[in-house]
Amino acid sequence: MTTEQSSLPAHLDPKTYPRTHHDPTQNIHLKLTYSPLDANTSLAQTSSPEAGANVLFLGTTRDTFEGRAVSQLSYTCYPPLALKTLTAIAKEAIKTHNLKGVSISHRMGIVPIGEASIAIAVSAGHRGAAWRAGEEVLEACKEKAEIWKREEFVDGGMEWRANADRDAEGKLIPEDS
Amino acid sequence: MASSNISSDSQTGTFTIHYFATASQYTTKNTERLPAPLQLTQLFPLLEERYPGIREKVLVSCGISLEGEYVDIEEDATTVIQAGNEVAIIPPVSSG
Repeated sequence: MTTEQSSLPAHLDPKTYPRTHHDPTQNIHLKLTYSPLDANTSLAQTSSPEAGANVLFLGTTRDTFEGRAVSQLSYTCYPPLALKTLTAIAKEAIKTHNLKGVSISHRMGIVPIGEASIAIAVSAGHRGAAWRAGEEVLEACKEKAEIWKREEFVDGGMEWRANADRDAEGKLIPEDS
Repeated sequence: MASSNISSDSQTGTFTIHYFATASQYTTKNTERLPAPLQLTQLFPLLEERYPGIREKVLVSCGISLEGEYVDIEEDATTVIQAGNEVAIIPPVSSG
């Protein structure tokens, strides 16, 4: 037991979380955590008197994958790269859409059905920029952030997913495209 | 934690390698230590030797990070992994 615990790398040890990054000059809030996500916290972090539009996205655990019953999802990450990647995504979105704030939180470990694995909040002067930025930040996270999802099925099987296999509608992307 | 890994790695002439998702499934390990120094170009051959079939089934679609930065086997061919370094095998990601 002691040997096993000491051989567990820090990035897989929930006791070393939450891992956060906060850039007050650009109002960027990033968090990797084993605790449930709180949408109100995300919204509060990005609220600004200069913002007229506040968009929140929650990605939650769905109970099926292609008709196969999912019992739970489990996530792991590599924080040194994941926080760096999320920072780059947030900065790019702020630059492109003149955002007043960006908050990205991702839950690690087991995420039961119906609970949120990712929470993204963005704020902007007007709704067009906020809608677009919210979607762009989410798609960039899915494409780049060094976080991995394992689906555990009611029938006992489990599979590691790759986001590159599916589009935003959940449809399979052909390998040669 | 990381600092203790580095000191013991330096003493023993090893580097730390972390595996994630399909790579950890294939190796049945989250992390291990391998002999250093090691030419970056020798990393995949070494892993293939230890875990036959991993190159084609897993590594072909993976990135590599060295000390928190991505490296490219071809572009960074002269790079040498030193004792105490931290390497990670990065399979296709799936956040959200």
